[in-house]
Amino acid sequence: MSQLAVRGVSKRFGGVAALTEVTFSVEPGEIFGIIGPNGAGKTTLLNCISGLYDTDAGEIRWEDRSITGLPAHRIARLGIGRTFQIVRPFGSMTVRENAATGALFGQPSGRLQPRQALAYADTVLDLVGLAAKRDYPVRRLTVPDRKRLEVARALAMRPRLLLLDEVMAGLNPVEIEQALDMVRQVNRQGVTMVLIEHVMRVIVGVCTRALVLNFGRPLIEGKPEAVLRDPRVIEAYLGERYARQGGPDASPTQADGEGGGGAGQ
Amino acid sequence: MTQRFRPPATALRRLFVGGAAIALVYVVLAPLSSTDAGQQLGLPFLTDRLWFRVATTVAMFVVLASAWNIIGGLTGYASFGNVAFFGLGAYTTGVLVSLRQWPFGLALLLAPVVPALFALVIGIPLLRLHGHYFAVASLGVGVAVGEVVNNLQPLGASTGLFLPIVRSNLLFFYLMLAAAALAVLVTWVILHTRFGYGLLAIRENEEAAAVIGVNTTFYKVAALMIAAALTGLAGGIFAQWNTFINQENVFPIEYNVEMILMAVLGGAGTLLGPVAGAVTLELVILRLAGGGAAAAYSQIGLGVLLAVTVIFLPRGVIDFFGGQSRLSLWALRRSLRETSV
Ligand SMILES: Nc1ncnc2c1ncn2[C@@H]1O[C@H](COP(=O)(O)OP(=O)(O)O)[C@@H](O)[C@H]1O
Ligand SMILES: [Mg+2]
Repeated sequence: MSQLAVRGVSKRFGGVAALTEVTFSVEPGEIFGIIGPNGAGKTTLLNCISGLYDTDAGEIRWEDRSITGLPAHRIARLGIGRTFQIVRPFGSMTVRENAATGALFGQPSGRLQPRQALAYADTVLDLVGLAAKRDYPVRRLTVPDRKRLEVARALAMRPRLLLLDEVMAGLNPVEIEQALDMVRQVNRQGVTMVLIEHVMRVIVGVCTRALVLNFGRPLIEGKPEAVLRDPRVIEAYLGERYARQGGPDASPTQADGEGGGGAGQ
Repeated sequence: MTQRFRPPATALRRLFVGGAAIALVYVVLAPLSSTDAGQQLGLPFLTDRLWFRVATTVAMFVVLASAWNIIGGLTGYASFGNVAFFGLGAYTTGVLVSLRQWPFGLALLLAPVVPALFALVIGIPLLRLHGHYFAVASLGVGVAVGEVVNNLQPLGASTGLFLPIVRSNLLFFYLMLAAAALAVLVTWVILHTRFGYGLLAIRENEEAAAVIGVNTTFYKVAALMIAAALTGLAGGIFAQWNTFINQENVFPIEYNVEMILMAVLGGAGTLLGPVAGAVTLELVILRLAGGGAAAAYSQIGLGVLLAVTVIFLPRGVIDFFGGQSRLSLWALRRSLRETSV
């Protein structure tokens, strides 16, 4: 039985078909990768799953119930946490308070009081490597640290599914290794994951399966290595340069990075 | 992008808070010197009728600014319609006392209830709007409610309502002071509970708040209802204190400008900032408002103050932003950059 099932989901913005009949499912404990060129609809898909956008068509099921059309906070409390590609920290709070808000509002079981939430925040800050900076105001954080904070705040919700939107974009190779360790560690604790990434090493390194989106449509789905070798994918997403260089590891990874802000990112 | 850590500019705020603390002690104790017991003890006579008027008015604005701070400062929704809650609270008490012969004490209990219910009704559609749209829509509500009341015959229409006179300066002073203390206490409780974290999260980023599980609609409406209840309570006390209410004196749009200025200048989103702002600004206003030319200057001064505030506060009065916004060159540069695109 799938834990998350997305069935025929479509989403338009005026004349732009951001998503067209996207279907896939994620099994419990999986690390599911979503890749695709800029503007392919990856962030829009996360926004639909997490309830920020209403879908125009299709159904989203989570642990055997439909969550289509539920408000975002209800979906969050059902155990789905997410990060934002363009980070959205709570600017007037410290790092620790930011993480604590996740524990305060997102945990499905019972209500924490601020003091307990702050204590729980410390454990997740430890996990993402921000423990030493827990009393910093967000303004003092570097971009990679802000991405870590996004993950920490979502993790503090004790989610059973974590949706990560390009949390590794802009990290250097060493930081990516650390982030991968973190992903594996969280996953070992039983958290199912959906990763949006441009970094091929990440997809190949940790994902059980991957889905490629192109112009809002699913292009192919399967084992990461197989998917990345598929000619359609190489053409659609990676371009001729990648095809010449060959092999997943040679891919240039910073195609997107921090660029291209916009609504819903 | 380099991020430098700037400690919040606290000097100005400290000055406000320190001044307000001294004023508060004086305000609380001075009236006792006018009681018979005080005179027998040989206390210097610290108060007169004018003093009571000033102190009661200042306390009233502490309530208004603190209440506004809950929705504008903590939640980030710049309401320009809070004066509607004041007027509704005043008219609730006014109608019950003057037309229904309710005792004032009982009528006052309903002064927070009616505005809070009104906030529930308008909050659900209005709080879906953001930024300028919310500000303008709330201003519309503020103006409209006054106009409607002004045209309702059963409420005395433009003649207004007269309440039986209750002669007790001490009573109204301490009632208003209690309301001010309640407003501060409520803010303190909010800031120290889950609810407050939810409001701050909404202010900082509403979608991020939603996806971590904050029921944003509920939180925003609740914040507006709390602000409305406190504002309405002040209105209810004002009605009996003033013994006469009409559109002009309980729905003045200037009150809205003033409460926002007080909260923002003192420190929106903080516990005591609005208190300090209310005390300081209201004393200045009362001093300037001697009448004649002085009154005109005070109006001009308020206008200039609002303009300066809007320029120095990043993204205008809309985005009230806790620690981020202080009077500083940095903020000025940022606001110029943002308004020029
Ligand atoms: N809130 C929005 N309003 C209008 N268009 C949007 C919005 N969000 C996304 N889009 C459009 O939908 C398409 C997919 O965007 P997005 O999901 O951000 O892609 P990706 O995350 O894969 O780079 C783009 O054409 C983008 O311009
Ligand atoms: Mg994206």
